[in-house]
Amino acid sequence: MDALEICYMSAGNLSKLVEKKEVSPVEIIDAHLARIEATEPVLNSFITLLAEESRTAARQAEKDIQAGRYKGPLHGIPVGLKDLYNTAGVRTTSGSKIFDNFIPEEDCTVAAKFHQAGAILLGKLNMHQFAYGPTGENPDYGHMHNPWDPDRVTGGSSGGSGSAAAAGQCTITTGSDTGGSIRIPAALCGIVGLKPTYGLVSRWGLTALSWSLDHPGPMVRTVEDAAITMNVIAGHDPKDVASAKVEIPDYTTALTGDVKGLRIGMPKEYFDAPLDPQVRKAVLDAISLLESMGAEVKEVSFPMFEQSQAISSTVLMAEATAYHRDLLEKDGHQLYEPVRHRLQAGLFISAADYLRAQQARTLLDQEGRRLLDDVDLLAGPTEPVTAPEILAARVLAGEQEIGVVGALTQYTRPYNINGFPAMSVPCGFSDTGLPIGLQLAGKPFDELTVLRAAHAYEQATDWHTRRPPL
Amino acid sequence: MASEKPLSREEFERLAELLGVNGEPAYLDELYSQVRGVYLSADVIKKIDVSGTEPEMAFIPPTD
Repeated sequence: MDALEICYMSAGNLSKLVEKKEVSPVEIIDAHLARIEATEPVLNSFITLLAEESRTAARQAEKDIQAGRYKGPLHGIPVGLKDLYNTAGVRTTSGSKIFDNFIPEEDCTVAAKFHQAGAILLGKLNMHQFAYGPTGENPDYGHMHNPWDPDRVTGGSSGGSGSAAAAGQCTITTGSDTGGSIRIPAALCGIVGLKPTYGLVSRWGLTALSWSLDHPGPMVRTVEDAAITMNVIAGHDPKDVASAKVEIPDYTTALTGDVKGLRIGMPKEYFDAPLDPQVRKAVLDAISLLESMGAEVKEVSFPMFEQSQAISSTVLMAEATAYHRDLLEKDGHQLYEPVRHRLQAGLFISAADYLRAQQARTLLDQEGRRLLDDVDLLAGPTEPVTAPEILAARVLAGEQEIGVVGALTQYTRPYNINGFPAMSVPCGFSDTGLPIGLQLAGKPFDELTVLRAAHAYEQATDWHTRRPPL
Repeated sequence: MASEKPLSREEFERLAELLGVNGEPAYLDELYSQVRGVYLSADVIKKIDVSGTEPEMAFIPPTD
């Protein structure tokens, strides 16, 4: 099989060939390493590449499969982890040279689950320093570059995950999402990103940004691969104090292709906010397509969307500063200046203001739950714009020029505040060939409905089959 | 600390000193801009009627 075809094949399809022994894990890893060698000088997706380690693991996987010890759909499949997921014996930098030599002794829970499932760790992926930024800038390990236009950002903070999945460097990648850090790079790089419900995927062993807003999750090229990955990584973890005790379904059962009767709400406030006209059109076309497929679409109102930026940034900044305070005092001078600014600005938030933001958060949560009494999903843009240029401070969204950080987190933050599952799925391209994402959000722990709608939409379109010009 | 009145540069510098934050003027200019953003967010939240509402119990995820 052609190596490039292997690199762009979904885990769902690749695993069928692996199980039938038509493709070997060694062939898969070799194809990906060649792809990385060819594209990495442009993209800079990886902080640590595990070339020899992954080849050794692939040989072992091949032996196991030949001997009849097939472990399931991720056996022999290459995985890349954002470099804030602790990996035993493999350095974990959190995107900062301060931790350039930090080698964890234990796997985080998610890495351990991938390992048990037979997945092969290909490397650790580049990220915005300490996950504290939505663009994918990193002066320590180099900025990340968008596969669709390398002069533009990948989005962040899980930027290396976005570029690696989009460019066929990795079949499955992971991110962590505190204000949009899975969904932003997913939308800007043209892939699928799922922020699961808060507490559904263990945070244990991940460097925190904000304890109450952090959500680990999959970043992949197809909705099926998101479901397959969730089957491996979701579930209660006693090591994580916020881990939920809920029954874990087989997420692939959601992939029916049917949205008949599904009730979709379009918050009108999303379309009153600054929004690029090409993004608006692509998203409205996507929602119309779902309606033509049998979904019931209606306009709804989500008034607290207007305050979601203020609530989210207050909670996030206070918690991030609390988490990193010792680092700030000891090694602050080594931090990327915008990250240091954000951490220091968090010192100015009083306890009373933090708790008032948490009170407002309760109200936003209640409003979201009421909305989802009447509809099954909320739909809108993931991003108001396509990928901005690297290091741009401002971006044009429709007729308004706004700050890049505010723009990129405009639609994603509400679902970090209330913890509801939210997913970005490709829904088009701009005139200049940059990807656009549709965001679908559902009720807490109802990932099945989110996946069902996203998959049905994906199957009715071909956006996910397009490849960046690399 | 939230206030309807914008944070003046002098107030910022006094608070920064109390918090042990220092740096070159250009660095502090940018930090001042960030801190004004913090205060603007606090003002937005102050206008929300939160009476009778408890803070989100962030570490106990809902299971319903």
